[in-house]
Amino acid sequence: MKGKLNNTILQVSELKTYFFTRLGVVKAVDGVSFGLKKGECLCLVGESGCGKTATALSVLRLIDSPPGRIVGGEIRYHGEDLLQSSGARLRQIRGNRIAMIFQDPQSSLNPVFTVGDQIMEPIRLHLKLGKQQARERALNLMEQVGIPQAKERMRYYPHQFSGGMKQRAMIAAALSCDPEILIADEPTTALDTTIKAQILDIFRNLKQERNMSIIFITHDLGTVAGIADRIIVMYGGRIAEAGSVLDIFDQPKHPYTWGLLNCLPSISERREKMTPIPGVIPSLIDSPEGCIFYPRCQWHMPVCQQKRPEEYVISGEHIAACHLYK
Amino acid sequence: MRRLSGIFGGRRNLLFGGLLLILLFIFLLDLLVVDRIFGPFVYFYLFFALLIIFYGIYPLYMNRRLTRYYWDRTRRHRLAVIGLGFIIFLVAVAILGPLLTQDPTKVDFPNKNLPPTGFSAEQSIYDRNTGQFITTETPGTWLHPLGTDDKGRDMLAMLVSGARISLQVGLMATLIAIFIGLIMGVVSAYLGGWVDNALMRFTDIMMTFPFFLLLVFIIFIFGPSLWFIILVIGLTGWTGTARLVRSEALSLRTRDFIMAAKSLGASDRRIVFRHLIPNVLSSVIVIATLSIPGVILAEAALSFIGLGDPTVTSWGLVLHAGQRSLDTAWWIAVEPGIMLFLTVLAFNFLGDGIRDAFDPRSQL
Amino acid sequence: MKRGGLQNYIIRRLFYAFLIAFGVVTITFILLRIGPSSPADKYLANISARTQDPSQVIEAVESRYGLDKPIYEQYFNYLVNLARGDWGWSFSTSMPVIELIKRHWIYSFQLILLSMLFASSLGILIGIYSAVKQYTRTDYIATFFSFIGISIPNFWLGIMLILVFSVQLGWFKTYYDTGLPMFSLANLKALILPVITLGTGMMAGYTRYARSSTLDNLRKDFVKTARAKGLPEHVVIGKHVLRNAILPIITIIMFDLAGVVFGGAYLTEIIFGIPGLGRVSFNAIFANDYPVVITITLIGAMVVLLTNLATDIVYTWLDPRIRYD
Repeated sequence: MKGKLNNTILQVSELKTYFFTRLGVVKAVDGVSFGLKKGECLCLVGESGCGKTATALSVLRLIDSPPGRIVGGEIRYHGEDLLQSSGARLRQIRGNRIAMIFQDPQSSLNPVFTVGDQIMEPIRLHLKLGKQQARERALNLMEQVGIPQAKERMRYYPHQFSGGMKQRAMIAAALSCDPEILIADEPTTALDTTIKAQILDIFRNLKQERNMSIIFITHDLGTVAGIADRIIVMYGGRIAEAGSVLDIFDQPKHPYTWGLLNCLPSISERREKMTPIPGVIPSLIDSPEGCIFYPRCQWHMPVCQQKRPEEYVISGEHIAACHLYK
Repeated sequence: MRRLSGIFGGRRNLLFGGLLLILLFIFLLDLLVVDRIFGPFVYFYLFFALLIIFYGIYPLYMNRRLTRYYWDRTRRHRLAVIGLGFIIFLVAVAILGPLLTQDPTKVDFPNKNLPPTGFSAEQSIYDRNTGQFITTETPGTWLHPLGTDDKGRDMLAMLVSGARISLQVGLMATLIAIFIGLIMGVVSAYLGGWVDNALMRFTDIMMTFPFFLLLVFIIFIFGPSLWFIILVIGLTGWTGTARLVRSEALSLRTRDFIMAAKSLGASDRRIVFRHLIPNVLSSVIVIATLSIPGVILAEAALSFIGLGDPTVTSWGLVLHAGQRSLDTAWWIAVEPGIMLFLTVLAFNFLGDGIRDAFDPRSQL
Repeated sequence: MKRGGLQNYIIRRLFYAFLIAFGVVTITFILLRIGPSSPADKYLANISARTQDPSQVIEAVESRYGLDKPIYEQYFNYLVNLARGDWGWSFSTSMPVIELIKRHWIYSFQLILLSMLFASSLGILIGIYSAVKQYTRTDYIATFFSFIGISIPNFWLGIMLILVFSVQLGWFKTYYDTGLPMFSLANLKALILPVITLGTGMMAGYTRYARSSTLDNLRKDFVKTARAKGLPEHVVIGKHVLRNAILPIITIIMFDLAGVVFGGAYLTEIIFGIPGLGRVSFNAIFANDYPVVITITLIGAMVVLLTNLATDIVYTWLDPRIRYD
């Protein structure tokens, strides 16, 4: 994971993002490294609070600055470290080369501007197009993401759209400048199941037709199975396991991943009970010296409490942060 | 006995009602039969004392953990604590002060226009011998540590008396306004329908009158006396509370715990008293604390323009006198103003702190 | 609500405002009639004291005001007179009340207008800036000053300003000079202290509202979206946040009119001797000239009513969520 390959366009190394609060320092992202290749869909998976959103926000430096701060690491986009870039350079990249969409489309759209305006905004900003051209391009985008009667709907306000439509509009705005990377933070979580499927289709198309790299964040393993090329399982601000879709689903190695997969209700198997992972999510304030999954792990060893596991290579690009694989 | 207490919504309410009746009886007796032993103020005091004991102190005492929680959160606001400290100081002054200071109404012309201790002022005194005005420097004395006004009355005594008045007015007028507003708001929200409509139209009408103009208008018609002023301020100032309480109650009404209570068979009255009111109470306390300064200022403004109770020495009245002597005796205007300012500031600090303490979303 | 819906809303709102106006007028009438020593009696006493033939005058006044007729007739006459513009006679100034108002309203208007401009422009700017720079020293200072601003009794502030700037320093006159032409620099100068007096309390309040409204909106998700698009910070704040934050601010400013502004203007006029409607009403009180007092109170209420109406309509028009329901 740490080595640079030829078509790795984004390389995150030892990213540390901490939040400084009254109650202590919350280590939301505590040493996370991964790479993203062109045309690849990388899924960040984990429970709420594991740091996946914080990681994604850190890429574009969208962390709320008090109380959060990126305290260490590098994020290299085509070799350029985004954490050192100037504000102006960052703004060139945002929405233009790397775009992001968020979880709740209701609150992510500005209620007092029309949807059309909001889609046109990055177009006019980055591509410097005139109003008429921008509007045409926006119409195009809206049609591509499947918003019917786009010409009328451009003048609508967000509250007049349904949830699925709003999310499509967000995607349209994100795609407007043809970015290389799209970061999607739980884009389907707030939607109904049928709409979920439709939105996922859009993502799949993006990958195929535009060769777009996608970082897809979710807590739902089912969604992951449908779209990911590679998966990173996060826990407690750290990476637990990472590998290709097949690696993770067929040969999961980290105890936490086992727990996650066991939690899935299955149509094909017959099970008596659902088996949740015992214990509670750890507090990210007093992070322990050893493995952060230690208190909930059924296979723990003495060393787990003392030393933080490194990312041990299982095979190829499949790694697991667990002392079982030393 | 049980049926009776059931009607009233609890033994506590029954006891309160009973004591209230006794009080009313004594009041009427005093008014009509005997020779007016106590002024109307005393009855007000007793009424509000009962109210506060039964519905303020008792619940706080019974829910000690909750009280402590809120108190801890309030304590973290340094400004709020400072404000509270000042208010306590003021209360102490109001209660003990009159016993320790001179008579604020005692006129003492030879000693008029004395500056506060440590300052000295120029005064032109007409010298009968030479028939001219002599300008002398008069220093302040320790006899009148804050100076005297243009009629020789001791400033310190007047300020102390003013503190008493302001606190009385502030407390009582606010209680009246909050009380009315609370009832209006809750009834309106809970009963809904035409009652809600009618009450809200009425509230809208009352809100359209500019508060101060209405105050002046009513005092103009009915004449200025302190307890009447308090009554009127209370009767005109409830609209804000009513609106806020209503909107809170409305949002609570649709919340699940009310549905749950209803599905368990709770009666309307029970829901109102035991579920709605306690939940809006926290907002009401905040509104109350933040209304007190407005009330105090309203009374001060009335006295300042001359529509206050002339028999009572309030800060506004002193300011009124001070305006005339700006060039000769500046302290007459400065001192009561400072007191007003500090008092209002203290209540604003406290109110802000309480509001943050009660807001579950703010982390403290 | 579609396009036509806005019109319907306006019509409904107008009708409602009319109802409220009716209620206001009725309550004023009730207050008058239940007063102990009816101001009408005092008024009569005053008039009769000034004329040679009191009985005739009393008769004329009585028949004109219908004081001898039953209450519902009085009420009816009252309403009719108000609507006709016959607002009574002010004996203390010897002119019809409506004439009195025509002469003096402009002074109140200029005071209030200037103060509101001063207070809202500065207040909103400081409030927004304070919110954007939350937790910095500037924020704490601004918040501190706004606390002071809303706590200072504005009539005391006026006196203090006079004390310092007129008495001690002599920069301004202590009393407003009505001889100055309205649109002159000298007039503006004379209005500086009164505007500061009235405006400071208002400004402090506006700063707080602006700050809290901006803070609320800064937390919202669409701000993140705007930043993620690469928009420069001044566009994020100046366009996205502002447009959302400004709506509640405007409504609060307008609705505050009733409580804060009029009361404050009343006192400011008295202190500085500005011959606006507040001062006129004040003088009328001590002269027992009650038609003046009633009328000015009613005018105050009507202005509030109209402003509320206007604000409601403007808000509905500005907020797309309400307009396109």
